[in-house]
Amino acid sequence: MSPVIIVLAAISAVLAVTMLIAKNPITSALCLLGVLLMTAGIYGLIGEHLIATIQLVVYAGAIMVLFIFSIMLLNLNKESSEFKDKPGIFIGAVAMGLGVFGVIAFALNEHFLKHRQEIPTGEFTSEKVMALGGNSKVLSHALFSQFYISFEVISLALLIAIVGAVVLAKRKFD
Amino acid sequence: MEYFDYLQLVAKILLVVGVCLGVVPVMVWFERRGAAWMQGRVGPNRVGPFGLLQPLADVVKFIMKEDFTPKNANKFYYYLAPLMALIAPLCALSVIPFGSKAIVNGQEVVLQIAQMDSGVIFILAFAGLEVYPIILAGWASNNKYSVLGALRGSSQIVSYEISMGLALLSMLIVYGSFNPHDMVSWQASNYWGVLVNPFGALVFLISIFAETNRLPFDLPEGESEIVAGYHLEYGAMKFALFFMAEYIAMIMASALISTLFFGGYSLLPGMSQLISMISSHFGFGEVGMTNVTAVFQFVSLCSKVGFFMFLFVWIRWTLPRFRFDQLMDLGWKVLFPLSLINLVVVTLMVYFLNK
Repeated sequence: MSPVIIVLAAISAVLAVTMLIAKNPITSALCLLGVLLMTAGIYGLIGEHLIATIQLVVYAGAIMVLFIFSIMLLNLNKESSEFKDKPGIFIGAVAMGLGVFGVIAFALNEHFLKHRQEIPTGEFTSEKVMALGGNSKVLSHALFSQFYISFEVISLALLIAIVGAVVLAKRKFD
Repeated sequence: MEYFDYLQLVAKILLVVGVCLGVVPVMVWFERRGAAWMQGRVGPNRVGPFGLLQPLADVVKFIMKEDFTPKNANKFYYYLAPLMALIAPLCALSVIPFGSKAIVNGQEVVLQIAQMDSGVIFILAFAGLEVYPIILAGWASNNKYSVLGALRGSSQIVSYEISMGLALLSMLIVYGSFNPHDMVSWQASNYWGVLVNPFGALVFLISIFAETNRLPFDLPEGESEIVAGYHLEYGAMKFALFFMAEYIAMIMASALISTLFFGGYSLLPGMSQLISMISSHFGFGEVGMTNVTAVFQFVSLCSKVGFFMFLFVWIRWTLPRFRFDQLMDLGWKVLFPLSLINLVVVTLMVYFLNK
């Protein structure tokens, strides 16, 4: 593992904690953006360029822009004052988060890391993917031939969600 | 990776960044002289021959000015925004190939900084990140005009990104690859992309004007309406960073449109005869031939980029600024449907011609 990955992981951990404890919503949103960028960097360093790029296009380029947009159009001062002075809830939330993290880590360790040798690997090794013409080619081929019905169903579901959101927003303004 | 790999990577990065930063002052000079020429004025001609040292004087002015920070600005984000503005277009440049290959010390060097499988989509990713500095700068300066400029800028970039992406998608279908090298070699052996897909090229050209906030789409900066928009509160070197970022985004957009639609680094007509003449005159072998070809490919790409930079200036002083609703109408009601129809037509064309 390259030392740069460890640096990126450490920065993203710091940013994630800052996102949780920051009082200013813009700081939280930008820290989340930082976490997404660092994750994209890690994907790129382990050789998964397509995933890194998709991460940048979808999360950093589209979803986070909407987040920041909506936060900025709200009344910021009111938002930041609502988070003040609730140590009981904060400590409870931290304890609960650590608990959930512990359960997930335990489950992952029990079911995957201990039995890593026994789990059957899939059809595609990295050598085979390279021979077939790279990640993007293999993924697109799978999406548009083998799984194309599920792909279309998902796009239809997204379309329904968009139409629903427009209808709801329109009713409120009329 | 070996020692040589790191060395060639650093050399390529230094070359690209150096060329970009070196072009900025020349472009600033050319923009002012070009404006004067098109308006029948003289322009800056006092500092050095043809006023060529004027950018140097500008730099001195930028550095010597007071580094002022508005009182109620959010300091951290106020300083972060110009840095982010410079990072996004420079990152996107890392995928543009500026030559096929050179041979240094017996080893082959691919003339592109990041050779990745998803090349062109990576550029789109960084084009998407160009929204953040505008939003941040406008919001952090704590000024009504800045926020208006930031809102205009971000809605404009988000809207035109869609038609830009669709135009790019139609070209991806034609070339059948994400890799810019494949695109250039396809264009070198067939036709330039602009001849195959003229509507895609037109939509792409209009969209990059909106993406780089250049006239006639410079609504985020509209001086006559919102003073200077998102960088209103920035002075001295911080303003210079925004200024440099705008020019580097222009270089990036020009390089991208040259690679996608105008043959990229493939040689201009007449250059191959010139290369064979040079190599026969100096008696170069195969290695020397490859390197001379690489130099000419770089010159070829640079001349195409130079033409588009000239086009940016030319259009700036030809067309008046749009009104904001006209801009949104053009983006959503004209370019978006046009690029969608074009995508369908190109897909059908490719399907039936390859059958």
